Amino acid sequence: MNRREWLKCMSALAVGAVAGPSLLAVFDAHAASQKPDAAPRFFSPAQGSVIAAVSDIVIPHTDTPGALDAGVPLFIDQMFHDVYTKADQQRYLTALAAFDQAGGKPFLQLDEAQRKKLVTKLHNEAISTPPHTVIPPAADFVLMTKKLTMLGFFMSEPGCTQVLQYVAVPGGFKADIPLSEAGNGRAWAVETELKI
Amino acid sequence: MEKNTFDAIVVGTGVSGGWAAKELTEKGLKTLVLDRGPMVKHGDYPTAMKAPWELPYADEPTQEDIARHPKHTRPSFYGITQSTKHWFVDDIDNPYEETKPFDWFRGYHVGGRSLMWGRQSYRFSEMDFEANGKEGVGVDWPIRYSDLAPWYDYVEHFIGVSGSTEHLAQLPDGQFLKPMELNCVEKDFKGKLDDKFKRKLIIGRTANLSEPLKHDKSPQRAQCQYRNLCMRGCPFGAYFSSNSSTLPAAEKTGNMTIVTNAIVYEVIYDNAKGKATGVRVLDAETGHQTEYFARVIFLNASTFGTTHILLNSVSSRFPNGFGNDSGEVGHNIMDHIFGNGARALVEGHEDRYYSGRRPNGFYIPRYRNVGADKRNYLRGFGYQGGASRSDWTRLVNTPAIGDELKQAAEKPGPWWVSMMGFGEMLPNHKNMVTLDRSKKDKYGLPVLNFDAVHRENETLMTKEMISDALEMFTAAGYRDVSSFTMQANVGAGIHEMGTARMGRDPKTSVLNAWNQMHACKNVFITDGSAMASSACQNPSLTYMALTARATSHAVEELKRGNI
Repeated sequence: MNRREWLKCMSALAVGAVAGPSLLAVFDAHAASQKPDAAPRFFSPAQGSVIAAVSDIVIPHTDTPGALDAGVPLFIDQMFHDVYTKADQQRYLTALAAFDQAGGKPFLQLDEAQRKKLVTKLHNEAISTPPHTVIPPAADFVLMTKKLTMLGFFMSEPGCTQVLQYVAVPGGFKADIPLSEAGNGRAWAVETELKI
Repeated sequence: MEKNTFDAIVVGTGVSGGWAAKELTEKGLKTLVLDRGPMVKHGDYPTAMKAPWELPYADEPTQEDIARHPKHTRPSFYGITQSTKHWFVDDIDNPYEETKPFDWFRGYHVGGRSLMWGRQSYRFSEMDFEANGKEGVGVDWPIRYSDLAPWYDYVEHFIGVSGSTEHLAQLPDGQFLKPMELNCVEKDFKGKLDDKFKRKLIIGRTANLSEPLKHDKSPQRAQCQYRNLCMRGCPFGAYFSSNSSTLPAAEKTGNMTIVTNAIVYEVIYDNAKGKATGVRVLDAETGHQTEYFARVIFLNASTFGTTHILLNSVSSRFPNGFGNDSGEVGHNIMDHIFGNGARALVEGHEDRYYSGRRPNGFYIPRYRNVGADKRNYLRGFGYQGGASRSDWTRLVNTPAIGDELKQAAEKPGPWWVSMMGFGEMLPNHKNMVTLDRSKKDKYGLPVLNFDAVHRENETLMTKEMISDALEMFTAAGYRDVSSFTMQANVGAGIHEMGTARMGRDPKTSVLNAWNQMHACKNVFITDGSAMASSACQNPSLTYMALTARATSHAVEELKRGNI
């Protein structure tokens, strides 16, 4: 466990604490910035389209914005271009290629219902893989994309302010109040963490 | 030469240097304040107001950031983020050698690490000052709690420390601003610790303004806004830093001249006078060399910064480094045992939450080797921790996806509690840092080489720190209790100290009871290097109190004509 992961325990991010694969290290309490004019640099347009389609299934537009509204595909591209190691890049690209074969034909040629069904099936396969066991590549792609989509989305402005709640300058601290009186009663976008 | 001559020189602007600058200038001394890095004026904090979505890369370091900071991105440190990386030195330009692995995390800019510090502020107690002498470890402190108590009062009043009055012999109370509050799970744990172990859990004592300061000398400082982004620098001035507190006070006197990018590499010694006459400085940007002169010199360059200057200042009088008649300069490195603790899931309390982000946690004061308790090791440890509700990341490895995932994320998750021990490290002559003259940094200065390890006492204490944490969470009835141990070397606590220790005997120590060099009475050292023992409390408050006390003595001695 490292200091960063310990911080996550302080903010109760159990996922980070039990993580092995380095991709999980992306889970920190901070966010992605999206430059509106930025273009993908790491993935090909075809790869980017697959990632975008999966992220849209993970966090769809509902009565609140979804992953595509929040610019998640570009965020994922930036993370792979600048943040992740060569090994992480390779793992993701291999998994992506396997995923694109998993439905019998290229993912984007499946209809909406088939896409959702495939993603759900592979997602279930990934999360039911026992700890310390290698997740098959196609399922690994879905779980990694889920994690990255969540990171990009919940650190984005729509994620922080329309699904979660965020107050830039709280101005005061109430330590122990009914959930219904904590702002709008939703989860805070940034949980309290002790930094030593 | 005239324009380079002052009454006093202060080297460094961190926690202790800022205090030296304030006190000396307020006492009327024309004071030159030197810092090796660039200026950071209060408010000049580029990321302070950034929202999560305004930071690139989810605030993670890029591969390029990691390449520039191979040491500062070790597992024991979290400072290299998009929001804080500008406060930490580039490891390529600022190298050091490691005979034994050593974590040295630092920032070279005005304010030093007072900008990024953890702000936890605890007094040392009488038992801390007595322990070395009683146990025959290291050297006896030449002062006792009563010598420092009024100076703790003095600095706490000025900087503002939020905390609760507890009447504990091992953790003296101070001049507190109102305490911050514990949340429901922390209160639950506090009650159980009291019931089952008769141990105390208190809210952390932190240099954040929980209410207005009780003086009007720092109009630039406002109350804490509970953003918990302190490490970026606080535009509200709500926590103590040199930038927000002591340096503005020094500036107001009109007696401070501050020079930045000024790397002090040598103290100038005058054999005939038997005194230091000034310092030699290298401009970090131009390489230009300058000499500055003064009647009294305060070294506050941080523990190893000061050690570097001393070891690099050799003369016929001091062939082994400035003021190093004892041979103890660079030895007795201490830090706090860091990175060991436990966490647990706490069921229930689901209808309770909090608002605002408290920049503070709870503290379990030392209870080992206190009163009747006797262990198979010396000294003790305290825990720092906190409880909060888990966020959206708990949902990654669950079946939730799509609309269901969004709805689940809207709700706060279960409560978790976690705590980590901070343990006392004993002074040991063998734990040392030396100057490696065969290796030079980009300024042509020799680099430090660290050779320090945790030894038997630390190993025994660490084991108990972990087992006690597990025992306490288990006894509290919490679930999924597990321990953690980080990869952390000596230095990871960022509480380095001890390399120019205070003591009574010039043969075994570097500084006297006034932080004044035994061998050169017009040089004072009041950063962490002065410490004769580490206790287990966060040490910065003690550096501040020692500095205020030493400056008062220095000015009296100047007036008496003794220095």
